[in-house]
Amino acid sequence: MHQSTRVAARWIEAVLLVAVALVFVFPFLWMFLTAFKTMPEVYQFPPTWLPETWQFANFETAWSSGPFLRYVINSVLVAIGVLIIQLLTAVPAAYAFARYRFRGRNFLFGLALIALMIPPQVIFLPIYVELSHMGLINTLWSLVLPYGASAFGIFLLRQAFMQVPDEVIEAARLDSASEWKIMWRVMVPMAKPVLVTFGLFSFIYHWNDYFWPLIMTNSDEVRTLPVGITMLKAAEGGKQWNVIMAGNMMLVLPILAIFFFAQRHIMKAFVYQSK
Amino acid sequence: MQKAVVANSANAPLLQQEVAVKAGRLTKVRPYLYVLPALLFFSAFFFIPILYIIYLSVFDWSLLNLEEMEWVGWQNYADLLSDADFHQVLLNTMLFTVATVVLGIGLSFLLALWLNQKRKLVAVVQASVFSPHIISLVSVSMLWMWLMDPQYGLLNALLEFIGLPAYTWLADTKSALLSLVLVSVWKVVGYNTIVFIAGLQSIPKDLYEAAALDRSTRWQTLRRITIPMLSPTLFFLLITNTISSFQVFDTISIMTQGGPVNSTNMLVYYIYEQGMDYYNGGLASAASVILLGLVGLLTVFHFWTMRKRVHYR
Amino acid sequence: MQQVVKKYNNQTVVKGLDLVIPDGSFTVLVGPSGCGKSTTLRMIAGLEEITAGDLLIDGQRVNDLAPGKRDVAMVFQNYALYPTMNVFDNIAFGLLNRGFSKKDCKRMVEEIAEIVGLSSYLQRKPAELSGGQRQRVALARAMVKKPRVFLMDEPLSNLDAKLRNQMRVELTSLHKQLGTTFIYVTHDQVEAMTMGDQIVVMNEGEIMQKASPFELYQQPANLFVAQFIGSPAMNILPTDKESIGFRPEKAMLTAGSARTIQPAAGFVDHGRIVAREILGSDVLYYVSGRAGKIIARKAADELLAEGTEVTVSVAAEHLYRFDQETGRALSVAAIKQESLPSGGLG
Repeated sequence: MHQSTRVAARWIEAVLLVAVALVFVFPFLWMFLTAFKTMPEVYQFPPTWLPETWQFANFETAWSSGPFLRYVINSVLVAIGVLIIQLLTAVPAAYAFARYRFRGRNFLFGLALIALMIPPQVIFLPIYVELSHMGLINTLWSLVLPYGASAFGIFLLRQAFMQVPDEVIEAARLDSASEWKIMWRVMVPMAKPVLVTFGLFSFIYHWNDYFWPLIMTNSDEVRTLPVGITMLKAAEGGKQWNVIMAGNMMLVLPILAIFFFAQRHIMKAFVYQSK
Repeated sequence: MQKAVVANSANAPLLQQEVAVKAGRLTKVRPYLYVLPALLFFSAFFFIPILYIIYLSVFDWSLLNLEEMEWVGWQNYADLLSDADFHQVLLNTMLFTVATVVLGIGLSFLLALWLNQKRKLVAVVQASVFSPHIISLVSVSMLWMWLMDPQYGLLNALLEFIGLPAYTWLADTKSALLSLVLVSVWKVVGYNTIVFIAGLQSIPKDLYEAAALDRSTRWQTLRRITIPMLSPTLFFLLITNTISSFQVFDTISIMTQGGPVNSTNMLVYYIYEQGMDYYNGGLASAASVILLGLVGLLTVFHFWTMRKRVHYR
Repeated sequence: MQQVVKKYNNQTVVKGLDLVIPDGSFTVLVGPSGCGKSTTLRMIAGLEEITAGDLLIDGQRVNDLAPGKRDVAMVFQNYALYPTMNVFDNIAFGLLNRGFSKKDCKRMVEEIAEIVGLSSYLQRKPAELSGGQRQRVALARAMVKKPRVFLMDEPLSNLDAKLRNQMRVELTSLHKQLGTTFIYVTHDQVEAMTMGDQIVVMNEGEIMQKASPFELYQQPANLFVAQFIGSPAMNILPTDKESIGFRPEKAMLTAGSARTIQPAAGFVDHGRIVAREILGSDVLYYVSGRAGKIIARKAADELLAEGTEVTVSVAAEHLYRFDQETGRALSVAAIKQESLPSGGLG
């Protein structure tokens, strides 16, 4: 008897677990299903679960309703560009914070930590004014440069560099390696897991970002995918949900694919902020 | 290791001494050189803007013509504080923040207690709960707009299915803010849960074993061990969730544009509208400074308590 | 003669060392932990700044030379291999940094790998090697640079006892083969005695004695060296003004309080055996005598039971005498009759 109640409890818990998972996953599934429905089916009440006919044309409609190839290229350029500049600035800074003692080190590191706490939404206005003085508004630079230094990246890499044993660095010094070379050839390879973690974090953040490109761009040549997709909604009068959902799949699928393959890394990357 | 620095170069040739000084200078400057690029970016796009926004907030200016700026002193702040719309914006921001933070943290705490298991099914559920966090708010907003569609949306269909009346969701002043809270909570719960689980797993197991030997009840263990040991995590989430709730923008911009009748207009969206749409730079700057003050206070508070905790350990 | 000269005048950790290390020698720095031996080595390597004084290699002042430009190589206690590079790259890294061509590097690395027996492991990462193999990589990495000086900081302390003995022999033969100067730091006196041709005993940042292993054992310059070198340590019995000392193996034990003692005996005491340790070939007796506690080492031909009353006697030529205040060794000729403990001279 006891045995069977325990088995039953386990099954009930499993059912509840699946229910919880569905609360978070089903909306995406609904997005997917809607993207394949025809207009009449979208506006059917009560709604149908599976599309009666799988209509792939929605994707074509979405794709051809704007310069989506341009948006995708811009999104990739921005996300990769930001990541490259962030690494170029974060690696030396993190190395200095982790490995050198110098006057003002704690003060400077404190400044970086403050930058970690205050989000860009608070100060977008003065940055906009600055960038327009530089003539960079409505260029890809306006999307990349403000994110050139990542406090989070510096913080993560500093932790990783601090864990490298002194002896390895000393061995490299005796091997006539310059400080610059020690940093890039010895330290950076040893921090590879952290670099991957940070790279994923940064890429996802900038791929998804809507606020900054919305503010800084006003023409299709420099718009990124998230802004482009909201154009879709405006262009279609906000009613063609099947096309809108098809468009959103372009934004969501790459991230879900990355998440599927690098789930652990990604969850670690985001949770790392709490430490 | 510390050593007294004693200059002893009486017997060293002068030339070598100079070489030494040069080498010494390079090693002294090197750390600053390495920090410099990051520092330049931080200065240009973080520290200078912070000072600049304070400066801008005492001028009457607009993005249409940046050359003409008129000094108005506290006028922008006075205008803000007497503006009924801004009162509404502040109230909305506060309500939204409190609701999102309380619901978001409360639900995720319960979920974390439940999902802190090493079963395969649970790992899948954890990943599912987390997944909205990495999806663009653009897609999340549009998806929920569709789900919340008053006539054809899935949510109302489900309500009808279980015999409840249809809900107004985003269409009504009374329900729109709550709907936005729902979307934000849905997006953040997974992140909070995973952070809580990480916190739970860092609690030493022997504490629980000791409690079990002391015949502690489940409730006692939760109150006396789990919650106190989790307080740093809880505090971190409170601060970060509050700060990010202050920043809410994407959902408003896509789902409601602040409406209906200003009922979902909040600080960042207000700043955006004033600065970018109504070309009222002064008012937008003053509102930015107020937001900066709020976030700054929370940040200082966060660092202060963190430092205190370090002292206790 | 080419020689390596070091003079330090350091305030805290290492106090004004003056030391000449002859070219081609195998010099061992030995001492208890915290005595400054590692710091000294690291100063030679250039990893630690020299506060004051001069460090000369081949007559050239190198104080301000970067570690990589001193033409020295170091083997670290934890090997300090680059974990992300394979064995080949680990060994080649220093060569490439010195501007050797890829082709030369390949040839040199392969040569060295052959010598230390790593040829078939060149593509492996350090994590895939055993402790002994990692040790060899560290050695190869140092050797390939053909440095003027080899520095080794307790390189064997992470190996198990058997491997350590084997590597000890390999290192000494390697030294003979290369003829390069070795400077070797250890806290293990057995390692020091067996490997070094010149041993520098250090304590609290100062050199206690610099001598060959034989001389160090036979003629310790002071109390510290006398007690640090040798196992078990030298017996030291304090008297009014001086301390006298003798090695455990030089003490004669005779059962009973018989007065049949050789006339040559320089020291006599009576006591009781309180404990004994049988080491196999030898036996250690712990004797509680009137002058103090004495350890005697005897061949295990006949065993004396615990509790036996014994007479301890030591020949005069095996006695050492130390100044009680300075700890400095006094010459045997300076022995004064009246200062001896109650046993008296025979």
